[in-house]
Amino acid sequence: MEQVSVFRATLLVAVAAVVEAVIGPYLTFGGIAPRLTLLGIVVAVSGLQETQGLLIGFFGGVLMDALGEGLFGVGALGGLVAGAISVRVSAMKLKGAQRLILAQAVAVSVVAYDLIHLFATHLAGLQGPSVGAFVVHGVIPDALVNAVLAYLIGLRLMKLLKVRRVGWT
Amino acid sequence: MFSLFLASVVLFTIYVKEGDSGPLHTVQLGAAEILRPARTAVANVAHPFKSAEGVISGALERGNQKQALKKTRRKNKELSAEVSQLQQQNNRLRKLLKGSRTGYKYAPLAQVISPVGGQFTNRIMIDVGSKDGVKPDQPVIVGNNTLVGRTAQVSSNTAEVILVTDQSFAAGVRIVPKSKYNQSTGEVSGETSSGEGLLKSNYQGYLGVEYIDQSARVKQGDYVVTSGRAGKFSLLFPPGLFVGTVDSVSSQDIDQYKKIVVSPAAHPEDLQEVRVIEHW
Repeated sequence: MEQVSVFRATLLVAVAAVVEAVIGPYLTFGGIAPRLTLLGIVVAVSGLQETQGLLIGFFGGVLMDALGEGLFGVGALGGLVAGAISVRVSAMKLKGAQRLILAQAVAVSVVAYDLIHLFATHLAGLQGPSVGAFVVHGVIPDALVNAVLAYLIGLRLMKLLKVRRVGWT
Repeated sequence: MFSLFLASVVLFTIYVKEGDSGPLHTVQLGAAEILRPARTAVANVAHPFKSAEGVISGALERGNQKQALKKTRRKNKELSAEVSQLQQQNNRLRKLLKGSRTGYKYAPLAQVISPVGGQFTNRIMIDVGSKDGVKPDQPVIVGNNTLVGRTAQVSSNTAEVILVTDQSFAAGVRIVPKSKYNQSTGEVSGETSSGEGLLKSNYQGYLGVEYIDQSARVKQGDYVVTSGRAGKFSLLFPPGLFVGTVDSVSSQDIDQYKKIVVSPAAHPEDLQEVRVIEHW
């Protein structure tokens, strides 16, 4: 019997945050960027218990905030939402559609993160785009790109997290 | 989940209210300092002159004479590329030194480490910091006194630069005829100005000058330079730093001001070495 290792899940999120902080700026095109930390959170949390998942999501987001230069708290909330989505989605046991569900979970998480970011930008008094323009030119392409990324590598990452559970007998 | 949501909101509130020297900003600066070697390494790999050629040449090495000859040729090519790169760098440095103004104090020449990621930002990281005398809100220039931005958060060895194309950047500027402006000294002969306004960038990436009166005589090709003063108040930037040229001028009768689009003189993707003006 296999189960997700909490240690490996945490490590995956941490590595994803560092990689995103180092190479992310070179792969950012306007509002579109690889959200590796969110992808890591969605993958890592699927298969964990709710509390563990939410905590990993939140602290993964805090790490993303600390390593990035954006508004602190946006990543934390985005990570928390990604964790919550992943916990709910992983409860659905649809055989054969796991890859597609993972991609959708990442897409929804990215949409949530982008909207939180926009809202926070306006709330902080900084200039940001209008919601309509940002949704068309930023949120939708960003969600699609990251969903494709999740579809391609999500399951492989998920396999790395699983360890064989040793039973009593 | 509610408590974690609340924690996120608290973090956001503290970050917005604390100012540049607060604990959360310090955490980000510390992280940037830790990631600096990795970012520098990635920047070097991304540099066009340090392409895959060197890596491939190493993998294809052979022991015989023919291969040795090929290797020498390849080495020569690499050296030629390196010489060309050094010549370009030399030219840039000469240009920078030529543009030094008397009475101004400059920080040591800074290399651009990496762009700073962010959806609504346009910033870079440079390798000079508080150890070199750099402080927040100092002008950053390139070439012959061309303004590229201002410093924001500064750590001991690095500084974040808000570029002129960033939405949070603003500078008091004036528009002057091309023939009247001396870029090296920053002086405008005859003190003729077509108008003064505020340089700002919007989300679509257009750089523009706001608050230019309808009566101002502005035409395409005029130069946009920092004004340095607004009435009796000194501004963040010294006067006469070149920002760009007027790309288009339009106005409608119902508007109070002209709509002026500026083509920036320095493009962020071309930046390699910059200088911070510490005092003027």
